[in-house]
Amino acid sequence: MGGILSLPVLGVAVIYGITGIPNFAIGVIGVFGGFVTWYFLSYSMGLAIAIGVGVCFIIGWIVQRVLLTPISEMGGDATLFFIITIAVGFVFEGMLRAIFPRPNISLELPRIGTISFAGYSVEGFKIIALLFAIGTLIIIRLMEEHTEVGKSWQATSQNLKLAKLIGIKTTQVFSIASGIGCALACIGAIFWGSLYNLQLSSGWDLGFLGFIVAVVGGIGNIWGGLISALIMGMVMSFSGYLLGGEWQSVILYCIVILVLIIAPKGILGSERSL
Amino acid sequence: MSEQVLKVTDLTTCYGSISAIKSISFYALDREIVGIVGPNGAGKTTLLESIAGSVQPLEGIIEFLGHRIEHWSVLKRRQLGLMLIPQEANIFPMMSVKKNLEVSVILSDRDKREELISYAYELFPILYERRKQIASTLSGGQQRMLAVGIGIASNARVMLIDEPSIGLAPKLVTKFFETLKKIRDDTKKTIVLSEQNIKVLNIADRLFGLEAGEIRFDERKENLSRDAVKDLYLGSIS
Repeated sequence: MGGILSLPVLGVAVIYGITGIPNFAIGVIGVFGGFVTWYFLSYSMGLAIAIGVGVCFIIGWIVQRVLLTPISEMGGDATLFFIITIAVGFVFEGMLRAIFPRPNISLELPRIGTISFAGYSVEGFKIIALLFAIGTLIIIRLMEEHTEVGKSWQATSQNLKLAKLIGIKTTQVFSIASGIGCALACIGAIFWGSLYNLQLSSGWDLGFLGFIVAVVGGIGNIWGGLISALIMGMVMSFSGYLLGGEWQSVILYCIVILVLIIAPKGILGSERSL
Repeated sequence: MSEQVLKVTDLTTCYGSISAIKSISFYALDREIVGIVGPNGAGKTTLLESIAGSVQPLEGIIEFLGHRIEHWSVLKRRQLGLMLIPQEANIFPMMSVKKNLEVSVILSDRDKREELISYAYELFPILYERRKQIASTLSGGQQRMLAVGIGIASNARVMLIDEPSIGLAPKLVTKFFETLKKIRDDTKKTIVLSEQNIKVLNIADRLFGLEAGEIRFDERKENLSRDAVKDLYLGSIS
């Protein structure tokens, strides 16, 4: 659970960490990409995933470039972004309804089976999802240390005004961050869709859960998000196992509230940095 | 007579309905150090930010190297060679000193980058010593040095510096100003700095007095009495 959750959480963290804009549509956009992948799955699995993820990257880019960046330049506040990104989410959910007239789909990817250790068995996909998230994180870190692009991202996330003044193309950085965030959400949705199933409204679950988990970890803090995703995933699994599925969200959200009362900035603090 | 690299004509910038600067005309010559002096709230920062493009002026003309730039973005102005070092938040706090400088050479020629960073280290050896340290953990004075280092790394033709001496110990101020002068002499760039510290008289070629958003004087240093500058801060008796 935590493994799959870590991908949309990472998406939220990348977008918020760099742009400072909370994008609540990210889950719906990711699920949109999941449906696109499903549509092309009969041709070739690799191609289908590439198309789905690519579509999400482009959507993320465009939404940021034509909508969110201009609004942020005009000084939009958090409430405005909340409403606008929710609206964007409904637009994509509506498009899903119109383009793929099926209430839910299941992505038939080749199963890897379960991996068992220490008496527990874990679905292979969950492990792969987690490794994918960690791998992405390491790549981002390496880029920050060794490439000009990575350094520009980091600079933009730490001091937007100065980043502009020294000549970083911050608009472009924002668009790429948003594209990557949505692409990660899509990969999360693909894993989700192959383990469970994807419904038209799954994007909201994925997006909000991703957001809440990111806030608990310290929003914008990628490591915090990852740790939080693992903890929350375990909480959900165990509460579901011990008390039954219907109590899962009750337990989860009580813990969320508790954590945020104790540590309002999340587990690792919400320094807006990558 | 060297050429005017920067020329501002009748510039007015407002915040809401309040005008922070009113019909300001201003220029800077090639290789000149110009000090913009005036008390708090005189409009010094607004003038610099209007030139750099961080705030949009209401009306007026800004010419830089022969281009009309008042409607250009910050990035485009920067690409042409204009760089503002703001008074606050002028470093990347969670990056190492070294990385702060490395990211700032982004628009400079690839083969000049090393040289620019070495030059910044040469001017401020303490930055080299602390190159691995996270920038926010530097002392206030060191952070100011890093901010100027970022300006050097940017290799801009005209460097606008907003109140570089504020909050520095008096002994440091003198040294800091000498370093700015050295930068101009070494790099043959133009430096425009806003200042409240009267020691700016020691390095500026020309002083531009600003009070309540209006020009009080625009004089070469030789023609200016210390009293005229003092009056600006303390209010003249007459």
